[in-house]
Amino acid sequence: MNKASPPCITREIVGSILTITLARPETRNALSTEMFDALEGAVALAQQAAQRGEIHVVVIAAAGSAFCAGFDLSEAVASPRALGGFVIRLGGLIAALRSLDAIVVARVQGAALAGGCALVASCDIVCASEQASFGYPTHRIGISPAVSLPTLVASAGAGAARLLAISGEIVDARRALALGLVHQIAPDGDALVRLVGAVTDDLASKGPCALRETKRWLNRVDGTGGDGALSTQSQAATKASADLCDSEESRALLADFWALRKDAR
Amino acid sequence: MGSLQGDYLASMADLVRLYFADGRATISLARPAVRNAISLEMIVALRGAIEEVSERAAKSPGDARLLVLEGEGACFCAGMDLKAVAHDPVAMGGMLRELSHALLELRRLSIPTIASVQGAAIGGGCGLVIVCDLAVTHPEAKLGYPEVDLGICPAVVAPWLVRKIGAGPARAMLLMGGTMSGAEAFARGLTTRCVARERLNATVDEIAAGVIGGGPTAFACTKRFLNDLDGSLDERVAAEAAELSARVMAGSEAQARIAQHLAASEGHKDPRHASR
Repeated sequence: MNKASPPCITREIVGSILTITLARPETRNALSTEMFDALEGAVALAQQAAQRGEIHVVVIAAAGSAFCAGFDLSEAVASPRALGGFVIRLGGLIAALRSLDAIVVARVQGAALAGGCALVASCDIVCASEQASFGYPTHRIGISPAVSLPTLVASAGAGAARLLAISGEIVDARRALALGLVHQIAPDGDALVRLVGAVTDDLASKGPCALRETKRWLNRVDGTGGDGALSTQSQAATKASADLCDSEESRALLADFWALRKDAR
Repeated sequence: MGSLQGDYLASMADLVRLYFADGRATISLARPAVRNAISLEMIVALRGAIEEVSERAAKSPGDARLLVLEGEGACFCAGMDLKAVAHDPVAMGGMLRELSHALLELRRLSIPTIASVQGAAIGGGCGLVIVCDLAVTHPEAKLGYPEVDLGICPAVVAPWLVRKIGAGPARAMLLMGGTMSGAEAFARGLTTRCVARERLNATVDEIAAGVIGGGPTAFACTKRFLNDLDGSLDERVAAEAAELSARVMAGSEAQARIAQHLAASEGHKDPRHASR
């Protein structure tokens, strides 16, 4: 009588545009083992399709009121090892999105926090609705957002990255636009869908070879590409974030946070 | 003593004019009939003029306390003259290399540089704008980097745009292509000021007066540090950028799109299509 759980993500291809939608609104699209499996698979398939010239644009979208609330902490509490593994997988996903031979557009309709914000910061173009929010509230559970910093520094600049990472402040879409993390905003979810539709149709009309070479060159110039200095830093940053997860500090803070959250319910 | 207006030096068949007057050097792109489109000869002339400014600033600092870069006629610069090089990959590569050098040399000048941008600054022309320390435009002007629309990779301008507005916004702008108004260009950080068109020259004069009132050694020191900090003088990046852009432009995608674009703009000039 075991019902198969619904898929974590949905994929839809229209013309040369692939949309990957996080589809676990009941967990605020948290990054769980299952979600990582699904996303890694989808991004790998996207890269194959891009290299065959079938797709030129990938949209990362989400269902429900949140875009992605970060790691699935229930898994982390049940198994302390899980957290470090999540960080490493997040680092891999960030690198895969950055090196994807298609232009990656984030469609952010709600909260994009911690790992969710890290996904957004790794995209080429970020569109958000006014209901979206962004932030790295990770230190309170003893985790460093270091894994996201190379792409965050590249997208928002070092000053804004420092502000977001250290303060843990959650900012709204307008503030994220001013900080450079978001590039275009729409008043509500429906308008956001139309906005992203217009952006992706426009991208699909450009020269795909020129787009691919321009993205690779930008990765090289801002150091977030395959063999740049920041890429070495990215690996070090991922390791730094992951190592911390195995610490006494992180375990204690996470346990406290989890207990508080349960009480609050 | 030069003429009443100060020294006037015609260079390279008047493709570019260079003046020294009132403590400022002015380089004027001078192909107004083609909206100052960048040809190989024009960039060579521009490089010559930049070198003269550099020498003058070193030998006789009072003559060249700052550089104003402007375009004659209705437009600052319409971008690369694609018609001349579209089907000649060797010429194209040469032109991109020259442009990349010119941008680097403009950046390396020890005196502050100001672009005065009327009408339009497109592609490589907009590259000239952002490599200057300061730029002034007006709300109705048209600026931007529509390279990817034509299948061209804006590799030469990309590092400069990253230094100007940050890597994230530069990524979005270059991948989206197209153009924007002067007002939007100002809002997105491409220019320092955006004023009514009739106030453009007066605003450049105000900025120039401020620069001339300041300490030239201090400006040179500040520029040197800024160039060091943002990697402006990385010749390897500039050289690689030109090669990449030339390679993409020689590809079939760019060739087809450029041909289509040129045919469309020819058709546009044809009076039979004027009503469309």
